[in-house]
Amino acid sequence: MTDPIITSTGLGHAYGDIVALHHVDLEIPPGRVGLVGANGAGKTTLIKILLGVLHPTVGATTVFGADPQTEPIVVRARLGYMPEGSCLPLHQTAADFIVYAAELAGIPPRAARQRASDVLTLVGLHEERFRYLGEFSTGMKQRAILAQAIVHDPRLVFLDEPTAGLDPEGRDEMLDLISRLGEFGINVLVSSHVLPDIERTCDWVVMLDGGRVLRAGPLEGLTDTGTVEIELVDDPAPVAAALTARGAVVEVDRQTILFTLREGDAFLLARDVLADTGAGLRRLGPKTTTLEDIFLEEEGET
Amino acid sequence: MSDRGVVFDLGYSPHEGPRLGRFGAVRAVLKDGVRRVLGLRRKARRKVMPWLLFGFALLPAAVFVGLAFFVGSFSPEAESPFGGHVEYIGLVGTLVLLFVALAGPELLIPDREEGVLAVYSSRPLTVGDYLLARAGAMAIVVAGFMIVPNLLMYVGFAALDERGFASTLVGNWADLLRILGATAAYLLAYGAPALLIATYAKRNGPATGVYLAVILGSTGLAQGLSQAADIPGGRWGSLLSLVQHPEIVRSWIFGRVPDTGSIPTEAGFDPWVSLAVIIAIAVLTGVLIHRRYRRLM
Repeated sequence: MTDPIITSTGLGHAYGDIVALHHVDLEIPPGRVGLVGANGAGKTTLIKILLGVLHPTVGATTVFGADPQTEPIVVRARLGYMPEGSCLPLHQTAADFIVYAAELAGIPPRAARQRASDVLTLVGLHEERFRYLGEFSTGMKQRAILAQAIVHDPRLVFLDEPTAGLDPEGRDEMLDLISRLGEFGINVLVSSHVLPDIERTCDWVVMLDGGRVLRAGPLEGLTDTGTVEIELVDDPAPVAAALTARGAVVEVDRQTILFTLREGDAFLLARDVLADTGAGLRRLGPKTTTLEDIFLEEEGET
Repeated sequence: MSDRGVVFDLGYSPHEGPRLGRFGAVRAVLKDGVRRVLGLRRKARRKVMPWLLFGFALLPAAVFVGLAFFVGSFSPEAESPFGGHVEYIGLVGTLVLLFVALAGPELLIPDREEGVLAVYSSRPLTVGDYLLARAGAMAIVVAGFMIVPNLLMYVGFAALDERGFASTLVGNWADLLRILGATAAYLLAYGAPALLIATYAKRNGPATGVYLAVILGSTGLAQGLSQAADIPGGRWGSLLSLVQHPEIVRSWIFGRVPDTGSIPTEAGFDPWVSLAVIIAIAVLTGVLIHRRYRRLM
């Protein structure tokens, strides 16, 4: 694993008697990372601790090797943040506010104007840049919030529920933009309770529930079940029998065969068996599970 | 050549130039604060009140200098109630009171109520930096209110003085320091409570109303307390007259006797007590505002 950009050790935070985070140990790699969990799982609390806005009750955390509690200026100089809910001054134009957001990060005024123009184009607000933010629709506001979060070219951007309140089209466009941030070299930590959003945009995931980490790891590994799924046109019985004879654990559901192999390449076995039996193939592929299935499974276990 | 338009995806280019860090961030907040209280880069209606007040502050000075220029025998100090610097500061002080009543809420409330503080929390900026930059913005504009008209009179009358422009300018240089001192007194006495009320209020209008009620009502309260013979220590109540402290300090700085009706003076307090009250209010206000914002940013 490459050097983590975020670490936390025994991190905990409580609002009075309510424990929001409970002994969170994490090492988050660069890239696009999803932070998933139900409302109240502790996602926003974790982000605010990483920003240095909240102080952990116990434990420690680092962002790019610096402690947000003791070195907030160092940490914040590398961050962008798209909060849940609005953060837009309603009586300013989009262009003025995005320039201001860039200058707030220390970008010199002339460069700030250029970057604001570029980023507003990137998020699709170039035509609207001289309109007052109070006149924007929800979707346009979300884009403007994303623009302020990336205008200063941060190394890491926190996106807290970026698709909240968006219609399907707006959500689709926002997810496309988030996916592209990785291409620009910006590390992303996306917090969401909408699991398909995380599946679509991230390559690493942290699952939180009740302030505890349920699971953390690469998305690919999480959703891959290790099972191969074959859907046949013909009777599956001969294929199932041949797979069983070669050591596979087989399950048949109407025209579909699900099998796992303890040793060896399951796909090579499927190819050979299909060639030997001459069965008509409709579909062949890995059986994947969704984050939602994993989340519910893990939640049930705890 | 095709007549169909082509959309080029310009992509994203990282910022490879300099970053000014904390200094740049503070400068940005300061600049934004000045623009905000003057309504610059905002809708036209947001410019009306601050520029109207600024016009009122500047106009008499311009008229006096103009009259002195065209009517050689006109002497503002002799023929106008606002002729000298000390009187003019008194006039502008009233306008400053109205101005800070509007500016204090505008500097703090929208950021908080519109969620903009979340943006500051992801920038290289501390709570103290933010608050000092906001207070600095108020200081710059209030100083403009008080110093620009006085400077106009200072330079204008020097130009017309029989002793010669340069010698009058140099000869009266102490007046500039006095103007600065009086400006600081008005700024702290009026500006600090305005920012404190704006720290807790949710909307600009009510915050302005509460501020004016507190500041102007304090004089009546101070009068009542200082005259109530049966209240032990009632004399100290005269110090609640928030409006009058900067006026007393102004007169003190210019070596004048405080205006008649000055409640703390009539209760027997020296001018330095008014200065101490102003400083105490400013320090206490700063601590309270910082404590509140430390929980927000």
